[in-house]
Amino acid sequence: MLARVLVSGLVIGCIYGLIALGYSLIYRASGLMNFCQGDILTIGAFLGYTFYAMLKLPFAVAFILTIVLEIALGMLLERAVIRRLLGKKVDGTYIVLATIAVSYMLQNGAILGWGTRIFYFPPIFSVLSVRVFDINIQSEAAFCIVASVILMIVLHIFVKYTAYGTAMRASAMDAKAAKACGVDPAMTIALTWGISAAIGGLCGMLIGPVYGVFITLGAAIGRKGFAGAVIGGFGNMYGALLGGALLGIIETVTTAYVSSIYKDVVSYGLLLVFLLIKPTGIFNERAIAD
Amino acid sequence: MTALLQVKDFHYYYGKIHVVKGVNMEVREGEMVTIIGANGAGKTTTLQAISGLLPPGGVRGEITFNGKNITNSGGDKIARMGLSQVIEGRHIFSKLTVQENLMVGAYCRKDKTGIDKDLERIFKLFPRLKERLKQLGGTLSGGEQQMLAIGRSLISNPKMILLDEPSLGLAPIVFREIFETIKEINEREGKTVLFVEQNAKLALKTAGRGYVFQTGEVVMHDTGENLERNPEIRKAYLGG
Ligand SMILES: Nc1ncnc2c1ncn2[C@@H]1O[C@H](COP(=O)(O)OP(=O)(O)O)[C@@H](O)[C@H]1O
Ligand SMILES: [Mg+2]
Repeated sequence: MLARVLVSGLVIGCIYGLIALGYSLIYRASGLMNFCQGDILTIGAFLGYTFYAMLKLPFAVAFILTIVLEIALGMLLERAVIRRLLGKKVDGTYIVLATIAVSYMLQNGAILGWGTRIFYFPPIFSVLSVRVFDINIQSEAAFCIVASVILMIVLHIFVKYTAYGTAMRASAMDAKAAKACGVDPAMTIALTWGISAAIGGLCGMLIGPVYGVFITLGAAIGRKGFAGAVIGGFGNMYGALLGGALLGIIETVTTAYVSSIYKDVVSYGLLLVFLLIKPTGIFNERAIAD
Repeated sequence: MTALLQVKDFHYYYGKIHVVKGVNMEVREGEMVTIIGANGAGKTTTLQAISGLLPPGGVRGEITFNGKNITNSGGDKIARMGLSQVIEGRHIFSKLTVQENLMVGAYCRKDKTGIDKDLERIFKLFPRLKERLKQLGGTLSGGEQQMLAIGRSLISNPKMILLDEPSLGLAPIVFREIFETIKEINEREGKTVLFVEQNAKLALKTAGRGYVFQTGEVVMHDTGENLERNPEIRKAYLGG
């Protein structure tokens, strides 16, 4: 029983972690919190469903199309809304409000496009489940964990070891100095938004087949991802992944052994505890405490 | 011979505040030129506007580099054209390692072998950087940070380097060492150098020519020697 609970905790935990990572990347690049991260996930799940289930495209094609469209959505959002507000020297709080406005627009847009019912993905794999260490794991759930971990590793290598990833981190730290080195900060920031949106879309494609696809799918995950980012240390990539994964496991364990009624109390209670006692999170990141 | 860098009737406005008022300057290829002047005279503003690092709306006048008009070309593009600046206050990427800082400096280059060769040259100039490759930029001492800032600029293999107060906040023994290296970069590597310096004595000794800034204007320009001998300069900047 415990093993099975841990696995399903890990499924949602990976998604929380990746969404938390999206928050952290954007916080680093633009210095603000982007509250449409979750709804970008919803859009990704709907797009994936449309391409795969409705248009009957191969899963890999649906996957790539979704990611490409999501990158475009993220970059558009940055260019059309965020950069304009930052250019007008609008206070950060209002820009965060603007992201909440966009979040509702995305939700409403999704209702216009797909309605309010819940859609279930047709199976992606020919086998229903895989057997690991004596437990049966739904194929889509196993795929979610494996793909998340691969994505985390790829992102880690990109950000840490490639020239472009290093330039991205540099311009997030000191845009003027990066510019003096020949880096175009406007481009790295836009790309960061694109990558964060791509992560959202990918999460939608991974969790949609496990949970079903509906309008508020991403909103709840987005809030949990935010909590995960705070718990890990807001702005820290690895903290985000750890905080999110931890939160997923804790809430699944709570659901299994206590009651699903308490799972949100426990998750958001944990968020409050961290905000009050250790706002720098597990990885001791200073963003919120300052 | 036309100048490598030419600044013509340059003005800068921070909003409505007019801080640089009609500066004319030129630096020829291979020269080492200094700008001296009191705090707030507009030296940093001029240097950063040349490199495209200030909001472009405030610039009036014309800046040309290597025969091309670079007025408001955008800082990243100007850096890629071979005009590199070591900005005031060093601006090391504090959470990147020394190696990563240098990697960002080489961002616009694709020739791996050229980069490696230049890296070796930089390590010869600043052996301490090589010893600290894995250390975070923010944990270096002030002098080491300045070395890293210069190294980060050199690794882009620029035609010309602008340095803004490289001695700021450094102990005399450290900044003498850094000035020796800057001189070496100019003399042996043939890089054109324009630097701003508070320590007027040291600046005029090191540079071939100098411009004297006062409240946003060039009030005098001459060879370093002549400026050093000039009674007005001695009184105002060299302590009598
Ligand atoms: N961002 C800014 N906004 C308004 N005024 C500024 C700004 N930066 C510098 N100044 C003003 O411009 C003038 C020139 O500054 P600066 O170029 O830094 O001088 P220097 O480098 O010679 O000490 C000073 O009076 C300074 O107060
Ligand atoms: Mg200055």
